[in-house]
Formats: sequence, C-alpha cells, structure tokens
Amino acid sequence: MAYIIGIDLGTTNCGLAYADANAPDPLTPAPVNLFAIPQLVNPGEVREEPLLPSFLYIPGPNDFPAGSLTLPWNAKLSAIVGQLAQKRGSENAGRLVSSAKSWLSYSGVDRTSPILPIAAPDGVPKISPVAASKAYLEHLRFAWNQKMPDAPFNRQSVLITVPASFDAVARELTQQAAEQAGYTNIILLEEPQAAFYAWIERNPDWRQKVQVGDLILVVDIGGGTTDFTLIAVTEEAGQLKLDRSAVGEHILLGGDNMDLALARTVELQLAEKNIKLDAMQLNALWQQCRIAKEKILDPESQKDEQPITILGRGTGLVGGTIKAKLTRADLENVLRDGFFPKVSSEDLPQTRKRVALQEIGLPYAADPAITRHLARFLKLQASAQPTHILFNGGVLRANLIRNRILETLNSWLDKPVVPLEGEDLMHAVSRGAAYYGQARQGKGVRIRGGVSRTYYVGIETSLPAVPGVPAPMKALTVAQFGMEEGTKIDFPNREFGLIVGEPAEFRFFCSATRKNDAPGEMLEQVGDDLEEISPVEVTLPADGNAGQVIRVALESEVTETGVLQLWCVAKDGRRWKLEFNVRERVAA
Amino acid sequence: MSRISLAFKSFFAILFGNGLPDDVAKAFGYSKEAATPRPVPKPQIEIRSTDGAIQILSLLQRDSRLIDFLMEDITAYSDDQVGAAVRNLHGQSQQSLSRYVTLRPVIDGVEGVSTRVPAADPAAIKLLGNVPADGKASQGILRHKGWRVEKVELPKLTPSQATILAPAEIEIE
Repeated sequence: MAYIIGIDLGTTNCGLAYADANAPDPLTPAPVNLFAIPQLVNPGEVREEPLLPSFLYIPGPNDFPAGSLTLPWNAKLSAIVGQLAQKRGSENAGRLVSSAKSWLSYSGVDRTSPILPIAAPDGVPKISPVAASKAYLEHLRFAWNQKMPDAPFNRQSVLITVPASFDAVARELTQQAAEQAGYTNIILLEEPQAAFYAWIERNPDWRQKVQVGDLILVVDIGGGTTDFTLIAVTEEAGQLKLDRSAVGEHILLGGDNMDLALARTVELQLAEKNIKLDAMQLNALWQQCRIAKEKILDPESQKDEQPITILGRGTGLVGGTIKAKLTRADLENVLRDGFFPKVSSEDLPQTRKRVALQEIGLPYAADPAITRHLARFLKLQASAQPTHILFNGGVLRANLIRNRILETLNSWLDKPVVPLEGEDLMHAVSRGAAYYGQARQGKGVRIRGGVSRTYYVGIETSLPAVPGVPAPMKALTVAQFGMEEGTKIDFPNREFGLIVGEPAEFRFFCSATRKNDAPGEMLEQVGDDLEEISPVEVTLPADGNAGQVIRVALESEVTETGVLQLWCVAKDGRRWKLEFNVRERVAA
Repeated sequence: MSRISLAFKSFFAILFGNGLPDDVAKAFGYSKEAATPRPVPKPQIEIRSTDGAIQILSLLQRDSRLIDFLMEDITAYSDDQVGAAVRNLHGQSQQSLSRYVTLRPVIDGVEGVSTRVPAADPAAIKLLGNVPADGKASQGILRHKGWRVEKVELPKLTPSQATILAPAEIEIE
C-alpha cells in the first residue's frame, strides 16, 4: 500500500484526496493532496477538474455525435457522469440522475431497484440509487488507475465518507455500491468527523486550541444535507481523547436548496415585470444566483448588489437578454432570515402533516430553518452546551450566515462558543478522510465514534390474538449508540425458532436520541422516539430438512469498516447474516 | 461599433483572416489603403486547415455564445442592454479562450513607458511615429504590448463536428 485515499461521495459533488501511506516520520501524518478528476466536460473533451459533479446522464440514441463519449479507460460509455452529465442533463432532465445519495438514504423507496431518473419518459433505461452511486465510485477508481498506474487503486486503503445521519441501511447500501464498483477494502467515515480531522490536519497545534471538557459542535452544510455532530474532548492516561458523543437526524436540506430559493426570488421579481422564464432559463438563473451570491458574500467583497443576466435564447443574444439583480438585502431576507432565523432554543422545527398519497419524491425537510433543526438537536442532547464550533461546507464561507448561527447559538448558551478557525470549507471531507486513514495506522489522533444510533429489533409479544388489533410490539436493543468498530454482542437469552427454507423477517428500528439503552434491554413499547427503518430478513437453507425448526440467538456486530450487521447464530455455531430488506416499503 | 465587439472582431480577423476588415480599420482611425502595404503579422502557430479555426469558433460559441453576439445587429439596443449581455459574455469568452489558447504579451512591459526595442522582426515588433530611415531604433515608448500565442490546446475533433459551429436547438414540448 502506497497511498491512503479519501473519497467524499457527495450529493452534488464527489472529491478525492490522498496521502502518502509511508511517510518518513511514523508519528506525523503525511500532507494530504487533492486529486484532479479527469471527466468528460463536453462531447469529445476530457478535462481534469477538482470535483466530479454527482450527476449521471443516460445518453439517448441521438444525444451526442458518434465517438464523442470516450474516456481514456472506456471507449464506449453507457452512462456519463460528471460535468457533461450535469450540463446535458439540464437540457434534458428526463435522462438525468441527480441527488442519488439522498435517494440512497430514503427508506420510502426500494433503493436497489431501477427508479431513477424518477421523471424519465417510458423507454429510458432506469438505474437504482445504488447503481448511480456505484457509477461515481467506479469513475473515481478508473480515473485513479489511469493517472497513478504504479499504485493500483485496489492496493490502496480507501475511505468513503457518509453523512453522520446515515442509518445502518444507508451505510450498508453505500458499502454495496463500493463493492459493485470494484472496491475491495473500504472503510466508512462520517462526514462531520472527517471535517474535524481535516481541521486537525491543518492545525498541527490543535492541542493548544482545545482542552479537556470542551465540546465541539460540527455544523456541516453540504449541497443536499445538513449534519450536526458533537465531539467531546476527554482525557485518558494523560492524553487528549476525542469522543463523537452525538449525531443529528437526517436533514435533507442544503446549499442547493438555498440557491434555488434565491432563484425563485429573482423569478418573482421578473414575474412582476411580466417576464416569464422557461426551464432552461431558470436553470441559468439558478447558476447565476449561485455566482452572484458568492460574489456578494465573499468576505473581501464590499458589493451590495450583483447584476443577474439571463442571455436571450436563440441567436438573438443581446435583444433577448433579461436583466435582474440580486442584492445583499435579498440574501439577508432569503438566506439569513429564511434558512437561519433567530430562534429561541425551544423553537423546534415545524413538521408538515404528511398526506397519505404522496407523490414519490425525496422527503425534503419540511422546515427550512436550519437554526430550528440545530435547536432540536441540542435539546435532544440534554441541552448540551458546546464550547467550540467548527463549520464545514461552502455555504458557511459567508460571514452573514456564520455570524447568524453564532449569534443564535450564543443566545442559547451560558458562555459563547469559540469558532475553530483555519478550516478548509470546500475539500475538508475528502482531506479529513485521508488523514483518518493515517490515524488508523497510528499516525495522528482518532475520534472514538462507533454506531451513530441505537438499534432495535421488533419482537411481537405473545398475547392471544385480538381480531383487528395488531399484536403489540416490543423492541430488543441490539446495538447501543457508540458501539465500536470491530466489536460483537450476542443475546443468548433471546432465542427464536426459525423454520428452515422459509424467510424470517424482523422489524428494525433505530433512535438517534435514546443513547442509554444497553444491548439486550427490552423496550416494552415502541414509542415515537423510535424510527422504523427497513426490516431485516434471513432464510436458513433447508438442506433437505424442510420444515425443521432451528433455535437461533441474535448477534450484532459492527464491522471494522463501520457497518452494523445482525447475525442469527445456532447452538452448533452456524451463523446466517440478516439482510436488510430494502424492497419493503416503509411508511415514511 | 462598441469597443468590445471591435476588439473581438479585430482579434479574429487577425488570427484567421486577411487583416482588418474595412469597418474595423475605419473605426481605428486609419484607412484600409494605409494598412494594406504593411506585412500582415503571421500567427506564431500554423493553422493547418480551417478545422482549427472552425473549432475555436465553435468552442467560443458553445462556452460564451460569442458568434451569436457578433452576428447580431445590436444597433437598436441601448448601451445598458448591450452592457448587461457583454458582461456575461466577456467573462465566459475569457475563460474559454484562456482554457484553449495561452496568450502572452510580445513585450512584457508597461504601456506608455520607454522601452528598449528588441531585434527587428516585423511580425513581432511594429515601429510607429518618427521611424528612422533605416527602420532601426534602440528605444521607444511601448504603446501596445502585443499578443503572442504560446500554446494552443484544442480538444480532439470528431468528424461530424467539421462544419457545425453550433447545433440548432429544438425543444420538445
């Protein structure tokens, strides 16, 4: 192994960073490099770009000139990923797969069946969220092998980051996607942790900046998700230790939603002047708003407004040009007050009543106010009082937003938080992953994390059946929050009789808030604080003894790669793995 | 003619064509007659066929819609309207041009300041004003730094792209 590779498999962009695995000084981690990713940027044009946009386009018969879809490692592509996919997809959305990562974590659909693009016209071949993620990962593997022929990808140590709020099923599916992409040995790492590792990497004197008893809040706002994590600084044998002590719930809300909201604001301005935009122009507007926002919010910038120009469609470019502008006041209204309102610590996110017949789509957060989600997160952690805050994600480059978060957070706390300076907002996640890879070898500090939820298996109580009333459900705790990688727990006192040859299914629950349920503990009632995720199932091979009942006990294991697995273990030591059944629709 | 469209027109005329078109020459304030006898500056890089020229035009059209702009009659539009469009187009053209063609000044100096005259090369150095009879001078004021193409890196062409600058776009309702 020559390198440690960190992969940020993002909702809108993927990144790859790497570090030398054999640094001369065994105690100091090697510097982390960013890998430029060759990709099709136009038909027939391959270029290296710092990021690979997480978009996949399924080309139709007349989409591109013959021979123009060629990568150095593949002469005939059946699907394109990256910049060209994003560009062409904006012109023909019916063949574009986007936000595959958000779909990967949505239990309301079968994530292994071909459902994307969701709006594809009949006849367009579809792919599953897992297959789309696989395509991005595969592209990265081939790109690496092409540029680094002397260090084959599969001989390196590879880390893939996932949101801290990903549940066991989404993690398992990410791992499956990686395996299908030909990855042989991977480790999963939570994104906010990766961001914190990146901060450590960039601040070798970090031990001077935090001390025992500190509690660091990581606020990670990505393109599609918002993730909160708490990291506690503790001490063990005179050494500073880091414990990831809490992670937030899955919030589908990110920078892309904010840019879209800005575009809608400008669209309304134009509508007042009776100017209507078509789909393509809206897309251009979205891009323009993002650029204008970045220009105004740049810490160096003194600008209070930025023109927005949508060029005319057709060959009449100047004549058809539509002018608008985005002002600092717009940003303050839409971004700061819309997404980060000043709220009290008791102000919790609004939940929308779900209608039974919901159009199939991603379950975006009902409340766009990130500060309310933050209030809820801290409240669920026994009103934790963070001492420091680390920001991650491009959105947080803007002082307007950072200051609002600080101001709001400080109004809830006894003592103001200290922002950790010197972060790399754009590439922290892949950088941090590469650092963590080295930390696993003993070079650098490791955050103790373990599983990010407490997990339960549903057990029906054996009461006489009452017609029309489902049997009450109890929940057996099978993995407690913080259960560490490479550990196993068995539950010998809870035996089940499984009939060989017939599928057995268990309902499966998790909780981000119940952290004190010890493994083996039985909850008499499944309350609101438990969230049902995909069921787990197993079929014991019949081996000619159909109808035979085998008594098994459950065992839970967190693999070295960071994935929770459940096993059925027979008295004689035979083991069968319980698989997540993602086909089953779960009421969302 | 606006300064920007003038600049673009002249740039392409010199890069690919036979010198400045009449209207541009006139706008610059010198007549075509005066311009013709002077040797046409040769581009540093041999453009082997028209393919490269078509390709660079198509790249600029694709990335910045420059051809749309140059071919449009803009006389009727207000400066404001033209300005808004150009601001957008200028950034994208610049980005696209600098991605495929690396440009450097011929003399990397400060315009308006006295400079030494390098070895005479009519393609690279043009003497203006009180030029001595033997056409040689050691010193002068740098009026224009000149442009030199250092590198051209164009994507590989596919045969079907040969004469199309930009495809027609038809939206299916």
